[in-house]
Amino acid sequence: MLQRFLDPRVLASISGLDLVAKTVVDGFVAGLHRSPDFGFSQEFAEYRAYSQGDDLRHVDWNVFARTERCYLKRYRGETNSQLLILLDTSASMGYASQPVTKLDYARFVAASLCYMANGQRDAAGLIIFDEDVKNYVQPSTRQGQLFRLLHAIEKAEVGTHTDFTKPFIHFQNFLHRRGIVVVISDFYEQPEVIIRTVEPLRYHGNEVIMFHILDPQEIAPRFREPLLLEDMETQTKMEVSPEYANHEYRRRIDAHIEALRDQSKRAGMDYFLMDTSRPLDEGLREYLAVRQGRY
Amino acid sequence: MGFLTPWFLAGVAAVGLPVWLHLLKKHRNVPQPFSSLMFFERRTQSSIKHRRLQYLLLLALRSALFILLALAFADPFIRSDKPQAIHGRKMMVLAIDDSFSMRQGDRLQRAKDEAVAALRGLNSDDRAQVLSFGAQVRMMSDVTNDAAGLRAGIQAIKPTDERGSFAELSRTLRSIAQSAKMPVEAHLFSDMQKSELPSNFADLRLAEGIVLMPHSLARKRDPNFTVENVQVPRHVYGGGKVRVQATIAGFGTERATRRVTLMLNGREVDSKSVEVPPNGRATAEFMNLEPPYGFNKGEVRIDSGDSFPADDTYLYSVDRSDPRNVLFVHNGTDQRALLYFRTALESGNESEFHLDAATTDQTGNIGLSKYAFVVLSDIAAMPGNFENSLREYVRGGGSLLIALGRAAAARTRIPVFDEMIRESRYSGREGERFQTAAWLDTAHPSVGKAGEWEDVKFYQAVKVDPGKSRVAARLSDETPLLLDKQLGEGRVLVFASTFDNISNDFPIHASFVPFVEQTAQYLGRVDNRQANFLVGSYLELRNAKEQGASIEVLDPKGERALSLEEATKAQSIRLASAGYYEVHRPNGRKELVAVNPDRQESDLDIVPQETLTLWENTAHGVGSSGEGGAGDRKPREFWWYVMLAVLAVGIAESLLGNRHLAVEGSDKD
Repeated sequence: MLQRFLDPRVLASISGLDLVAKTVVDGFVAGLHRSPDFGFSQEFAEYRAYSQGDDLRHVDWNVFARTERCYLKRYRGETNSQLLILLDTSASMGYASQPVTKLDYARFVAASLCYMANGQRDAAGLIIFDEDVKNYVQPSTRQGQLFRLLHAIEKAEVGTHTDFTKPFIHFQNFLHRRGIVVVISDFYEQPEVIIRTVEPLRYHGNEVIMFHILDPQEIAPRFREPLLLEDMETQTKMEVSPEYANHEYRRRIDAHIEALRDQSKRAGMDYFLMDTSRPLDEGLREYLAVRQGRY
Repeated sequence: MGFLTPWFLAGVAAVGLPVWLHLLKKHRNVPQPFSSLMFFERRTQSSIKHRRLQYLLLLALRSALFILLALAFADPFIRSDKPQAIHGRKMMVLAIDDSFSMRQGDRLQRAKDEAVAALRGLNSDDRAQVLSFGAQVRMMSDVTNDAAGLRAGIQAIKPTDERGSFAELSRTLRSIAQSAKMPVEAHLFSDMQKSELPSNFADLRLAEGIVLMPHSLARKRDPNFTVENVQVPRHVYGGGKVRVQATIAGFGTERATRRVTLMLNGREVDSKSVEVPPNGRATAEFMNLEPPYGFNKGEVRIDSGDSFPADDTYLYSVDRSDPRNVLFVHNGTDQRALLYFRTALESGNESEFHLDAATTDQTGNIGLSKYAFVVLSDIAAMPGNFENSLREYVRGGGSLLIALGRAAAARTRIPVFDEMIRESRYSGREGERFQTAAWLDTAHPSVGKAGEWEDVKFYQAVKVDPGKSRVAARLSDETPLLLDKQLGEGRVLVFASTFDNISNDFPIHASFVPFVEQTAQYLGRVDNRQANFLVGSYLELRNAKEQGASIEVLDPKGERALSLEEATKAQSIRLASAGYYEVHRPNGRKELVAVNPDRQESDLDIVPQETLTLWENTAHGVGSSGEGGAGDRKPREFWWYVMLAVLAVGIAESLLGNRHLAVEGSDKD
C-alpha cells in the first residue's frame, strides 16, 4: 500500500537522471538543489583528482600550492540539507476530470521527492495543510523516515478550503535548517498573496520550489453546454456557459499562471506547472532536466 | 389554398428532431463540482438567457427548415378570387355601371375614380375603350390608347334611371372580343346588383380571350324602402274622387313604419302611416284624390330614411275629362235592352261613357262623330240616310255594335255589316230547349275578361253568315254568337241575340256587365294602356291613321325627344329617363306619361362571389349553364417561393450553426 505512490516505472525513470545515488560533499543530488554553501559537510572523506568541469570551489588550494596539482576535497557525514514538502490537501485538490485527482498526483510527486531525498540520505519532512496544518512529519534521516513519510502521504485526505496565510505562518516554526522547501498546491489564490505568503520561506536561506498542480480541465476547460458548477471549497454554485469557459476563463487562468511564474521568479523562487494529464515521470524529468541545465 | 401532393406534409413531423435536440435535451441542472470558481464571473455569464436565445433561434430556423421543406414537397397552391391580369398586348375595356342604383351615395363617382386608376395598367401598345351600361351599352370613347381621351370618356358618364343588364354588357364584350382580335381585359365597375343578372345564365357567357375583372363598389346589401307601385286610373271621367293605391316595399329591411304622402300637382293631398313588415310590402290607400280637369302630375312619397332616397318618389299622371257619349238606337217599344245596356255601361264610378238613347225615328239629324260608338238594338228598319251615315261613320273610324233579335231577323241583310241573315232560331224556355255559349275566343277584347258564359241560356239567336268577319263566340249548335268585322277605319261588332233578357238571360248574369264594359272600351278605343311606364320601355306614338303625321314629344327636361324626321316617322319612342313625357298628337290630343325607374333597381342585394366566379369562368368554356364552381379556377402554385424561403432559412441556419461550432471547435485546440 505504501508503495502505491512509488511507481517503479516513475522511479526508474527519474533514477536515470543522476540524482539519487550520489552523496556528495554538498549533500544534494546534482540538479535537485544547489548547495547554499560549499564545504558544508564537517567530515573530510577523501581527495579526488580534479577533472575538467568540477567546481573550483572545492579545490584544496593548500594542496595545490604544495604539489601544483588540483585535488577536490570530498566530505562524508550526516545529511547537510533537508527537504521539506508542503502538501496542499484543500478541497480543490480533490478535483479530477480523469481518473487521477490532483491530490493523488500531488501525493505521487511528494512521494517521489521523499524517496529521492531518502536515497541520498537527505532529511525529508512533510507538512500537510489546507486552512491549517493537518499533519507534520519532522525532517529526519533516521531509520524508517521514508515509511513515516509515505504513511503520512497515504493518510492525507481532501480537507477544507485553501488558506495560505494561516498555515504558512506556522511553517516558520518548522524550518530549523536550511534546505529545500517544495510547495505542492493548486494555488487558488491571488498570485500576490501566494508570493507574499511563500516568499518568507526563502529568507532563512531556503530554496523554494512551487509545484503548481492543475487538472487539464482547469487549464483548458471543454464545456459543450452550459453547466451549473459548484465550488468544491465554498459550495458556491454558478451557471457557466461554454463560450465563457472556452475564452474568458482560459485567458484568466493563463494570466494567473503567468503571474505566478513571473512573480515567483522575481522572488527568487522556482515555479513549475504540472498537468495531471501528463505522466508523472515526464513532468518530473522535465523539471529536473531544466533545473540541471540551469545549475 | 390547397396542396397538390398533401402526403408530403407528413414530413412536418421531422420538426420533432430539432425540438428534441434543443429543448428535450435539457441543460444539466445537477451541479458539477469544480475545483474553484475563482476565475468565473457571475456578472458576465450569470444569465445565459441570451445564449439560450441563440439556441432558440437556431431551433426556430431548423424547425422552419423542416416545415418549409415539407410544404414545398406538398406543392401548395392557391385559388385566387381575383383573375390574373393579361400580360402582353391587350384590349382594355372599362365598363361602368350607370344604372339607377348607382345613384346611391357616391357609387358612380367611385366607379369613375377606380376606372381612371385602372388606366394605369394601360401599356403603350394596348388599346382601351370606355363603356357605360344600364339597360343598354353606350360607347363613351373610341378604341384608343390616349389616356386623356379615355379619362374624358369616363368623366362624361352621368347617372341614368335605367335598369342595369349584365347580359347586355356580356353581349357587347363578346362583340368587342370578336372585332379586337386580341385578348380583352374587361374591368367592370358596378355595385354588382343581383337584379342585373339575366334569368338565363347563358346570356352572361364570355368569349374565349376575355378576362373579366370585377370591381365591386358594394360590400354588403343595404336596406332600402321604396314606393314600388302606384295604382291610379290614367283617365278619369266626370266628377268624383279617385282611388289611389300605393305599394310600399322594403328590401333587406326590418319591420318599420313609413309615412306615405300623396301629392298632386305639387301639393300634398293626404298622408298616412303604414307598417312595412320585414323585407315585405304594405299598401297605402287614398280615397280622396280629386284631380281637376285636364292632365295632372302626381307623386307618392315616403320618408324612407335609407341611403337611397332616389326611389322614395313614384310619379303618376291622371287625366280628368267628361265621359264620352254612346248612341243607343232602338225601336220605341224596346226599353228593356236600353235599360240593361245602360245600366251595365254606366255601372261603376269611373265609367267613361254616357249613353244617349234614340229611336230609329230620331236618327235623322244625329251627328255621329261625337259618339264613341253606336249601338243598334234589334232594329228592323232604319232610314236609309242613317245607314249611310253609319257606314261613313264606321269607315271613318267609328264603331258599331249591332244586336240581332226578332225584328232584325226579318231583314235579309245586316245593315253596315253587310252579311246575310240565314235564319232566326228559337228555343223553348222549358226543359233543355236553349242554347249555350259553347265556345269563346278569349283573345277577343269583348270576351277576354268577361269570364265564362256557361250558365247563359240563349233561347233565340239569329244565324248570320260570318263571311270575312271574325267569330268571337259560338253557341252550342255552332251558331256564331259574336262576330267582328273591320270596315274601313272602324269596326262592326254583331251580337246574334238581344240585350233584353228575352231572347236570352244574359243581362242577369254576372258576365254581362264586363262584356258590355269591355265591348264599350274596345269599340270606343279606350286607352287601356298602363298608367305608368318604366324607364326603358317604349311608348307607341301612332296608329295606322296617324302615319306621316307629326307627333311632338317633350322629355322630362322639357326638350324635344324626337328629331324632325322621327316626329313624322317614329312608331314608338323609348322612355329613357324618369319623369313626365308630354305627347302632342296630330288631332290635338295631349298625353301626359309618367315614367319611373324599374323598382328592381331598388333591391340592393349584391351578386354572390360564386356567381361572379362562374361568370368569369365562362370565358374558359365552363359555367355557361351555371355548372362548375370555384374549383374550376386554375390553381396558382407557389412551391418555388417556398423553396426560396428554404434556401434563405438554410443559409441563416448554417451561419448561426457555424458560429456555435466555432466555439466548440476551439475546444479541441
